[in-house]
Amino acid sequence: MIKAVYIFIFINLLAGIAFPQTDWVKWGKADIKYEKPDNFRHRDYSFESENVSGLVVKSAANAYWYFFSELDGDNCPFRPSCSAFFVEASKETNIVQGALMFFDRFTRDFNLYKRYKRYPRVKDGHYYDPVAMYKLDKNEINYIPPGVVVNK
Amino acid sequence: MKTFILILFLILSINIRPQDNQFNFNSPDNIRRFADFLFCDRDYLRAALEYERILGISGDDTLRFKIGLSYSCTGKYDYAIKNFSGINYTSFYYDNSKLEILKSNFLMNNFAGLRTYYRNTFLKKVKNFREEGKKLFNFSYLFTDEPLPEEDEFLSPFEMNEREQLTAFYNWKNDPPYKSGAIAGIMSAVIPGSGKMYAGEVSDGIVALLVTGVAAFFAYDNFRAGHTTRAWIFTGLTAFFYGGNVYGSVAAAQVHNAKIKFEYNESVKQYLEENNYYSPEYDFCSEND
Repeated sequence: MIKAVYIFIFINLLAGIAFPQTDWVKWGKADIKYEKPDNFRHRDYSFESENVSGLVVKSAANAYWYFFSELDGDNCPFRPSCSAFFVEASKETNIVQGALMFFDRFTRDFNLYKRYKRYPRVKDGHYYDPVAMYKLDKNEINYIPPGVVVNK
Repeated sequence: MKTFILILFLILSINIRPQDNQFNFNSPDNIRRFADFLFCDRDYLRAALEYERILGISGDDTLRFKIGLSYSCTGKYDYAIKNFSGINYTSFYYDNSKLEILKSNFLMNNFAGLRTYYRNTFLKKVKNFREEGKKLFNFSYLFTDEPLPEEDEFLSPFEMNEREQLTAFYNWKNDPPYKSGAIAGIMSAVIPGSGKMYAGEVSDGIVALLVTGVAAFFAYDNFRAGHTTRAWIFTGLTAFFYGGNVYGSVAAAQVHNAKIKFEYNESVKQYLEENNYYSPEYDFCSEND
């Protein structure tokens, strides 16, 4: 009888180890980062521009990033940030229109009232406010309702 | 004896309900039953793939219609139209398939294609669902910039209980509550920020008025105090804030209009979804319950 119990236990143990967990990677130590994803530090400091006005704008933005923004931190609530918005707007239109778009954006940046009801967000929580919305080209306006998280 | 029973149980535990190798999973009948199960379980993509496996063998139109429905439900409207188009004229589902082609075109936002198909094929070949087809045809005008039909003509296929809502859609499309960019720009040129308020961005307008006003005041105050360099810097800033505010008011009107159009389109689409795009409910699953 005791032998039978031993055999029973042996068979059960054997069944347990016959197909053991091989996927140890699944249970291994995961390298998880809890930082908010942000490309704030990965800026393009190059001076590459298609024309003189582009070079002027990019130089101004580079100087602002280097002397102020890097020290001050990531404080712009929008994406693209106001300085990046200026560079992009000037590149996609011209320096005068880009400057007007930038000052309009800068003014809107001062407005703290219920921004969450007006802008969609990007994954890291910043408000998404792309250049295309303000180029005065109706065909380029792609309205995204507030609250939507944009994968940018 | 006990040992024998123990061994018996162990053997039984291994052999209980073993796989029957005689069962043919790949017979057309079993594939169809599996596909029907997937279809009723709303696993439409896999259902379509299973149906397609036996389409060449069985080839009946119900099968092709269900493939079309499956692709339509998964948003693969090109495949759906291809399958619906392959349904024979003698089929029970012929008229349904034509209506589903209209629906698929609608869901693809191919409104020009929908109208062409309606005029050239649907009206000529379909006996049932003519009202439903006409409804989708008329709805297509609400999503394009082409001139609307006359109101009576537009409302004619709809039932009385629908007409109030449809009249609202029609009137909105005829005279949308858009804001004029030119007016917004002129207003902001006269009183900074007022154009933004006109475009619905009241808080932005107030901020623009304050920012431009404060910059202008600094310029004036520095001129008055004899600090001409600072005064010119603030004058330049005022000019840019002022210009940006006029520009931004025009842009705000455009964004407002895009928002209005988006919300309108969403409400029309929601209405259509609630009515299943005037497509009938197909009862393919109750027999499998």
